[in-house]
Amino acid sequence: MSKYFDSLCAVDALDLHVDNEIFGLLGPNGAGKTTIVRILVTLLRPTKGTASICGFDIANEPKKVRNVISYVPQEMALDIRLTGKENVLLYAKLYGIHDRINKVNEVLELMDLTDRCDDLVKTYSGGMRRRLELAQALVHEPKVLFLDEPTLGLDVSARRRIWNHILSLRKHDITIFMTTHYMEEADEYCDRVAIIDKGRITALGTPQELKSSLEISNPTLNDVFMDKITTREDECAFDGYKFRTMLRRRS
Amino acid sequence: MNAVWYYFERDFIKWTRWKVNIFAALVTPAAWLIFVGLTLPVTFTDNYLEYLTPGIMVMSVLFASFQSGNLVIFDKVLGFLNKFFAMPPQRESYLLGKILFISFRGLMQASVIFCVAVLFGITVYSLSSILLTFFILFIFGALFASIATTIALAVDDHDGYAAINAMITMPLFFASSALMPYEDMPQWLRTIASINPVSLAIDNARMLLGGGEPFVGQIIMLTAAAVIVLVICIHVFRSATL
Repeated sequence: MSKYFDSLCAVDALDLHVDNEIFGLLGPNGAGKTTIVRILVTLLRPTKGTASICGFDIANEPKKVRNVISYVPQEMALDIRLTGKENVLLYAKLYGIHDRINKVNEVLELMDLTDRCDDLVKTYSGGMRRRLELAQALVHEPKVLFLDEPTLGLDVSARRRIWNHILSLRKHDITIFMTTHYMEEADEYCDRVAIIDKGRITALGTPQELKSSLEISNPTLNDVFMDKITTREDECAFDGYKFRTMLRRRS
Repeated sequence: MNAVWYYFERDFIKWTRWKVNIFAALVTPAAWLIFVGLTLPVTFTDNYLEYLTPGIMVMSVLFASFQSGNLVIFDKVLGFLNKFFAMPPQRESYLLGKILFISFRGLMQASVIFCVAVLFGITVYSLSSILLTFFILFIFGALFASIATTIALAVDDHDGYAAINAMITMPLFFASSALMPYEDMPQWLRTIASINPVSLAIDNARMLLGGGEPFVGQIIMLTAAAVIVLVICIHVFRSATL
């Protein structure tokens, strides 16, 4: 699968197979992580090649794909003037869930939000908002969950809590495809990771395999990352959009 | 099709939950009626308020439609569109829900203006003429809401959109028959005003609210224009890259 924006090659002949697992996509800013996710969730069409999710082709059967996936982008898009429950209910309606009320209560319970579900989202913390987004994403029992930097801008305890929830989803047989900048998290929680640079995969395997491929003592995933990435930080385009999103979360 | 209603519901709850929103939306047009309608020293009619009311009703629908493009910009910039467009409902349900809400909100404003004008003593003719006026306003609102949402989809900053908004709506309003009849306009303005879709809505509303018969051909033209623009907008929404 490839994606070009005019002459800029954002995804370069990507060939990847993801099983029922937690799969982490790592890479520097501008490496093409978000573009890959946006192609897979049918927001963008690949320029060349294709991909299939649960047997459905992303280009030819986008509607079927949308029924089996959920996408949580990095921006945290929630209606702050609606209550937590109303936010989830909107998704249940849009997905055409039959037993709406029960399902909404169930996912809110799953994400530990039942106590606060009738409060306006305006009053929620960053971690709660992210959990509410996960609740929205789970309302139609997806088979694959796409998370774009799920823990960006959250404190340690909120991040750990999100991760525990993500791990518990594995018991429901949900495949998780995620991007992150936090190597420690990828190391601890992902079954397999891929490191991409300039739209190409430069490393693929379990965190353990990647670490043991380095010939240094006590390697971390950070070392693997630095080893595989040739893009220097100052070559990366500054993503002001993402930066603003982070700042907004602090307010 | 249900999704259209759910998107409408979302905007509606958000709008009504912030009371200032509603109040603010109603004050501006009322100010026009009171500060312009009751005070301007015009000579072509002895009841300027009655003349002006249909123009202000159309104006508030026009302004409300265009301003509401901001809703789309917010949804886009804050990431809502990314989520919505990765869900099963067709993209156009979002567009139609927005157009429905925007036109509805414009009609709410127009009804308040009408009520205020009635309080100030304009003559009310028949209920059917009022209903037909609101139908025309709805078509008119939907036409401009389609244009506004589609422009907004292409623009991603509020400042830029506000500039585009003012650039389009102000000339459209002033070059229409809202404030004065064609006979009192200079020749060049008369030509522009007579082909302006805003005048088309105003002339019909004025005719109907004044107890006369509407120009059926013009209403059909307006409806056809709204349908054509809507089809184009649906196409743009379907193929848009966010």
